[in-house]
Amino acid sequence: MTRARNRELLALIPVALLLTAGFAAVFAQENAKLGNLSLTYGAYFLAVCLATHIYLRIRLPHADPYLFPLMALLTAFGLVMIYRIDEGLARNQANWFVFGLVLFALTIQFLREYEVLERYRYIIATAGILLLLAPRLPGIGEQVNGAYLGVKLGPISFQPSEFAKLAIVVFLASYLREHREVLIVGARRVLGVTLPPLKHFGPMLVVWGASMLLLVFIRDLGTSLMFFAAFLALLYVATGRFSFVVIGMILFLLGSWFIVATVPHVHERVEIWLHPYAEAESSGYQILQSMFAQADGGLFGKGFGQALIHAPGHPRTIMLPAAETDTIYPLVVNELGLFGACGLIATYLLITARGFKTALLANDGFSKLLATGLTAVFAVQVFVIIGGVTRVIPLTGVTLPFVSYGGSSIVANFVLLALLLLVSNRARREAEEGATSDGRGEPLGAPA
Amino acid sequence: MAYDPLSTALKFGFLAVLFLFLLVIARSAFRDLRRTAAPAPDATGFHVPAGHVEVQRGVDAWLVAERGGGLERDARFDLIGGLSVGRSKDADVQIDDRYASGIHIRLFSREGRHFVEDMNSTNGTVLNGAGLDGEAELVDGDTIQIGDTVFRFEAS
Repeated sequence: MTRARNRELLALIPVALLLTAGFAAVFAQENAKLGNLSLTYGAYFLAVCLATHIYLRIRLPHADPYLFPLMALLTAFGLVMIYRIDEGLARNQANWFVFGLVLFALTIQFLREYEVLERYRYIIATAGILLLLAPRLPGIGEQVNGAYLGVKLGPISFQPSEFAKLAIVVFLASYLREHREVLIVGARRVLGVTLPPLKHFGPMLVVWGASMLLLVFIRDLGTSLMFFAAFLALLYVATGRFSFVVIGMILFLLGSWFIVATVPHVHERVEIWLHPYAEAESSGYQILQSMFAQADGGLFGKGFGQALIHAPGHPRTIMLPAAETDTIYPLVVNELGLFGACGLIATYLLITARGFKTALLANDGFSKLLATGLTAVFAVQVFVIIGGVTRVIPLTGVTLPFVSYGGSSIVANFVLLALLLLVSNRARREAEEGATSDGRGEPLGAPA
Repeated sequence: MAYDPLSTALKFGFLAVLFLFLLVIARSAFRDLRRTAAPAPDATGFHVPAGHVEVQRGVDAWLVAERGGGLERDARFDLIGGLSVGRSKDADVQIDDRYASGIHIRLFSREGRHFVEDMNSTNGTVLNGAGLDGEAELVDGDTIQIGDTVFRFEAS
């Protein structure tokens, strides 16, 4: 079935067009001249995307047609915005983009039978936990703004939590695939609430405990929330019991409330969130400036390259701290306004919708749970960072997937995309075969 | 700011292309929603929803006790909402058999077909004289043996 791939090809054209327009606008603003460099960049970008598209055409002909163009769109957003901040960073980001695509291709090449992941689930889980704790190890750990998220190995520094999220999702999907039945079967109703059986409460408490420990160890509320929310999403899909999710949320709230009260760094983060004006010149500066930038954008924004990152005339005075990572979303809102922000969020929503649709189409438990988990962790990550800069939840050091500057984030998210496309390819192929073999013409009626 | 009109044009052009692109993709997503709306009483395919589809079709499948397990001969258990069989008192059909695991097997229906799944039992399950590996589809007259307990599957 090449129709899906043709749609993908068509969808890539507007993405390349957007990248070109974005670069053209930034050039026009900065150099007051329109070179053909933006066309060159647009052509490079299109060439890289086309190469990936051809690879997908050969390897995964049935996979979802829109996931890759949507992700390419996010990368285009990121490249334009980062270029606008710093040319050198944008060049790095472009290199990471290409490297991410190489890893994406390798994942598709070697994990065609992704069930093998199930066999190594305990190794994968251990690796994930080690990755998460690595930033606390002496010698290689790196502390940024009080949170332990980075690891520095010689000249390379990366964010292990980006890779850990993949490992944890694979483990949870595989574990819950096997144990979901006992969680449902033994459940009993107490006062109208379905409670999981006491002895099977264990795994839930273990994951809860792990995310609480994570909060204490790496001191990052966002990462902890991201993992626990993905777990709850998986638990809900695996058991169909909403009460489990409610119990989990209550546990998380109680636990994080206790930790906020006792661990000073986390407490400080929450204080900044609740009372940013108390220290408007120091600790509250970032969140306040980020909100001012968003308000300043208005409906249609100030235009590409117009946002004030440094105060005019005072290059040392930073108006938008960490513009290329944490506050890249406010930068987009400032330059493209409410409409641009809605477009960006809609892109994430559509990716999430495609991801959950993949889970719906998949025929076996592990595929379903894997697609759900990957999509959920991706969506929650977007919520954590956009919620952070809009002061819905405390601001944390999580990246905006595919848009924020950072190699680990781009590479890990491309591996995530590769896994999602692998699941999608098999599910859609089976759905199509089912539809043609029993001639019902209903491609969504999954053959049992 | 010499290129202000150009910059503005590019900004609105960018937004227009962006939204057109998203609209096209969203349209196909909405189409999918409409198409799935009818045949998906259970979106994830994991759970048999509390009766609603199966009840309409009427009960058409039973597990019938043949011998052993401390069950009365010809006791019938319908498959509505799935059925778990095992030694545990949490099981829908509790059997008294020392070779049975807590939750030994479960039976469930999906799209009008019926299946039996071994829940990783210690001593295994025998379906029509052969070992059951994972799950298998059931047809009328199949026999399921757990330890010394024998069931018959009936479907109409």
